[in-house]
Amino acid sequence: MIRTIFLLIIIFSTTYPQDGLAIAKMVDERKAPQDIVSKTTMLLTNSKGKTRTSTILSKSINNGSKQILWFLNPADDKGVAFLKIEHDDKADEMRMWLPAFKKVRRISSSKKGDSFMGSDLSYEDMTNRALDENNYKRLDDDTIDSKACFVLEVVPNAEIKSSYSKHITWIEKETLMAIREESYDRGGNLRKKKTFIFKPVSGYNVVSEIFVEDIQKSHSTKLTIADIKVDSGLAESLFQEKNLKRLPRN
Amino acid sequence: MLSRCFILSLICNILIAQLSISGSLKPSGMFRISDHSRIDLPFRIAELELGYTMGDFDFMLNSAVEYRWGENNYVFDLREAYTVWFPNWGEVKFGKQIHAWGIVDGNNPTDNLNAYDYYFMFLPGTDRKVGSLSAAMTVYWGDWQLEGVIIPDHIPNRMPFHEPDFPFQIPIEPSKYEKIDNSLEYGVRLKITLGETDIGISYFDGRDRSFSLLGVDTFNIIKIDPKFGYRATSVFGLNMVTFIDDITLRAEVGYFSTKNDFQESWFRFFVTEAEYVQYVIQFEYRTVSSSTIGAQLIGNHVLNAVGQTVDLVTMDPVAINTDNFVPGLGTPFAMIAEQSLSIVGSGMFFDESLELGYNLLINLEEKGQMVGVNAAYSLIENWSIDGSVSYFKGDDNPQNKFEQLEDFSHFQFQLAYSF
Repeated sequence: MIRTIFLLIIIFSTTYPQDGLAIAKMVDERKAPQDIVSKTTMLLTNSKGKTRTSTILSKSINNGSKQILWFLNPADDKGVAFLKIEHDDKADEMRMWLPAFKKVRRISSSKKGDSFMGSDLSYEDMTNRALDENNYKRLDDDTIDSKACFVLEVVPNAEIKSSYSKHITWIEKETLMAIREESYDRGGNLRKKKTFIFKPVSGYNVVSEIFVEDIQKSHSTKLTIADIKVDSGLAESLFQEKNLKRLPRN
Repeated sequence: MLSRCFILSLICNILIAQLSISGSLKPSGMFRISDHSRIDLPFRIAELELGYTMGDFDFMLNSAVEYRWGENNYVFDLREAYTVWFPNWGEVKFGKQIHAWGIVDGNNPTDNLNAYDYYFMFLPGTDRKVGSLSAAMTVYWGDWQLEGVIIPDHIPNRMPFHEPDFPFQIPIEPSKYEKIDNSLEYGVRLKITLGETDIGISYFDGRDRSFSLLGVDTFNIIKIDPKFGYRATSVFGLNMVTFIDDITLRAEVGYFSTKNDFQESWFRFFVTEAEYVQYVIQFEYRTVSSSTIGAQLIGNHVLNAVGQTVDLVTMDPVAINTDNFVPGLGTPFAMIAEQSLSIVGSGMFFDESLELGYNLLINLEEKGQMVGVNAAYSLIENWSIDGSVSYFKGDDNPQNKFEQLEDFSHFQFQLAYSF
């Protein structure tokens, strides 16, 4: 009898993860590349339909915990570069290379809600969510574009000083990839709607398009991620200040 | 066979190298607020930057064309031409180049490696500096950074002599400057990252970039023959950046020690020695709406000054003291006032199509302030229209720097195209 109950618990827990944290852990532990190199086109559109396009070369390792970005376009931003290093035991490090000033400027990582280069993505949106920094609640499952999804309510812990009060995230059951998210401001009002499209690259599911709409500002950002290369063997030493100053050839 | 291999290898290297071209066209006009007359000073109408990457090497060229309305006079300026080698451990640079030290924005007491171009004093970043032939090496080691710079020849500030439209009139243009026997200058900088704080220390040994009266030829009985040149000056620097909740604090201080080291026997050179400090403390805060507010406390204090000089009109001897000593090195804005407060802010408006900024400079020692507003509107990608207004207000004292700047109160327009 005890053996039957034990087997039932095992089967139940692996087939029907009941709590949000278990789903978040599965998403966190999903097979991911060691490093990603990509070229991203960032299209900003304001409420009047006016657009601005930037092209960014991105290199990251450890699921984006270390990331370096170089702006290739537009002309007045060319050469601007951004380095982010996430730490578990201390505040994250963020540095920007400003070619016109010939200076690497250390910038605050505490103001997570700041816009990244005028886009609808904030620095917080670009940072990994640590499992222990959020509370996860499973909501009713849903179907998006014929894809069965887990739906999670993610509430950031007070100590991380998030600019959001909560996120509602749709996670495709088959791939454990987030395909839609709604983020709410500190007042509980809907702030951003995000949709994610991914594609298989060398056996991994990698995000290839992100659309972020700031509902309150009537402004949107579309990131189209191309030329994706994974597991190309990026060295840890790439993620240091000196490499901000030089646009890589590829 | 060997030469063919070499040529083939060279061709392959050139083919896989990368050329980058960028630049801007910026026709601009500056007009007085008082009578709307044009302020007749040169501006950079075109800038071109070429970069050529080959393996671990970059070759950089940075040039500009200066133009002055009315004179139809174009002057080409090769501002930088240098090579950078990027080994695993750091970077090595050689050639005519502009360095940038210091951690605060704009006014850096510890940034004395390059001369300033006073014609472009109000431009941001490296646009206001003059390149110098130099070699620099930076070593990165974990959270440590060590940089050394050697400058074989002293380069002075570019001063606007005989420019009635420039806000500060330079009373005399020296016909020659005393020859410097050993013009080698060098600087060393160490930066450490300690958690949320970056700390830097630096040392520079060189010469003033603004000239001083060093002596008078007492043997010349026909006419007064003043001797001008550049004092020997060393600077100890300390800077830091740290974050306190949502506020970013940057601070920088330079301790300057200067002396007149010209001692030839048949001229009379004055004995001059002085010590002074310049400091800048900067606070930054970003509001919820992503607007930025920043404040800088800028100070310049002469701690000790001894020696003598003469009044060039009366030839009367004058003792140098902390009140009349004029520094020849350091951030130019620290010399406008002993202590001043600068407040700057910027934000995006009208659906992010218009960037508005403001700046306020207040002299904390005597009456004087500057109020500035600037706007940039992006027409289409890579094109923008910029406008700014700068208004200076002093008192009736002609020695007051802000009083001298009053007639320089101006508005400026610029059409910018970047490529």
